[in-house]
Amino acid sequence: MNIWEKMLNVDRRWIFLGIGIVAIVPFFINFGMPIKTSIEVEGIFDYVDELDSDNAIFISFDFAPGTQAENMPMAVAVMRHAFHNDIPVFMTANYPLHHGMMLAAMAYVFNPTTEGFYHEVPFEDWSQFRNAGITDKDELVVAWENDGNVLPDGAMGWVFEGRDYAALGYAPVFNLVILGMTISIETQYPRDAHGNATGEMPILQEHKNLRDVDLALSCSGSAACVWWVTYAREKIGLPIAFGVTAVMATDYYPYLQAGQVIGQMGGLRGAAEYEVLLTENGITPSTDKAFTGMDVQSAAHILIILLIIMGNIAFFAGGFHKKTALKGRG
Amino acid sequence: MKRTVPLMIVMVGGILMILQYFIPHQISQTVLAYYTDWTPIILAFALILGVGSLTRIHSHKIRRKSKNWQYSWAVLIPLYLMPVLAHIWPQSLGGGMDSPSIFHFTFMHVQVSIQATMFSLLAFYIASAAFRAFRAKSALATLLLLAAVVVMLGQVPIGALLGKWLPETGLWILRYPNLAAKRAIMLGVGFGMLATNLKIIFGVERNWLGGAGK
Repeated sequence: MNIWEKMLNVDRRWIFLGIGIVAIVPFFINFGMPIKTSIEVEGIFDYVDELDSDNAIFISFDFAPGTQAENMPMAVAVMRHAFHNDIPVFMTANYPLHHGMMLAAMAYVFNPTTEGFYHEVPFEDWSQFRNAGITDKDELVVAWENDGNVLPDGAMGWVFEGRDYAALGYAPVFNLVILGMTISIETQYPRDAHGNATGEMPILQEHKNLRDVDLALSCSGSAACVWWVTYAREKIGLPIAFGVTAVMATDYYPYLQAGQVIGQMGGLRGAAEYEVLLTENGITPSTDKAFTGMDVQSAAHILIILLIIMGNIAFFAGGFHKKTALKGRG
Repeated sequence: MKRTVPLMIVMVGGILMILQYFIPHQISQTVLAYYTDWTPIILAFALILGVGSLTRIHSHKIRRKSKNWQYSWAVLIPLYLMPVLAHIWPQSLGGGMDSPSIFHFTFMHVQVSIQATMFSLLAFYIASAAFRAFRAKSALATLLLLAAVVVMLGQVPIGALLGKWLPETGLWILRYPNLAAKRAIMLGVGFGMLATNLKIIFGVERNWLGGAGK
């Protein structure tokens, strides 16, 4: 066995070890390489940035734990953008597992250990203000703070459940749920994920169906994101944005070019671009997990390309391209 | 009767749903509202069938001590335990779905970890597969290989450091050649779906009946 044959038949555990090393080391040595934003991501950012408290957006958690490394930072970034600009947010999930991802995203954004967290006020806690007819965000914050509540150190602002967001969660047969929400959100979700009556929520009283909503972002690890185009964009003209995994991103360029989708975050890169835009515009104090993860992805891509080059060198230098079959260990 | 009734239901339901999509009238909206209410109810019966079937298959495996029968417990125990923990187990003992609860803990620290691990393994296998399979054996294979390398480098920050043209070329590949190919595939699939759906609605395609009524 010559050197080229040995190279081609290298034990794959060495390759696994290499990937393991390049996946772990960048977490300890933060390179922080600059990321240039693309028009696909800027399209979503600019659109969300122009909305305010009179508007509302949907963030649909259409991904399972398997793709959360890519999809979760997208959802978290847009959620933080919306909370910063006081844009009401509806959160849905198209599968029971995805419901858990929605709760995990909320837990992260509301966690005091997260840099630039938001302080959540549960629906029941501000019922006296709601009953007194105070539902406007600015008036609510003044009344809430006059009542002796103090925003914790490091918090970016108050987030009132039922005013600033509604965690609607999972409902079965989600494509029909989207279709149903074009008529009434409350009919599809009489109660939210925490058991609160959605009809009592100011967010639902002001935005009764998808026609009263300005954007739906589907953070998706499957083709379910297309449901939003089929059942909401094409039926009532709701603007849609995609946050999809890197392998899926190539599939949805036709939707972008046709104008059916206002923008797309593709994979960890897309999420990192949104984090960069948030930080550059002073919406978050620093970039988050996606930006850190890009160092890992850079190192892994370089290693894979080196492996491809090495494999081709050995293949041609060893003269294996002249043989019909190459024996290897797979 | 076993064939005619399901065929009629599919035909009437299918045509009704096509028509209602294009009619923005109140009656049409009411039909849609009824349909969206009824579908999950009907599907709930399918869930009962599914859980029942899964239970039957795995309990048979356990009873007969078939190959790998021990893993059937790993299916059956969570299948019944998780709903009990979420909906029946008292909250004072860690029941319910919201955090803190056993259900929530199990989801976050078992389900999430297992799925994330499974997906993470892809990175290792893709690297190994790329090393062994990505060969410039022909002109087309070389083109594919070069496009892959440019897109891979263009997608990561280090690509921009190697050359400004890399991310720009990578995005050009995604925005134009990739888009054209994807659109062609999607149109083909779309027309195929349309033809199949029409065949099902009008009773030409009957395989979905599973041989009922023959």
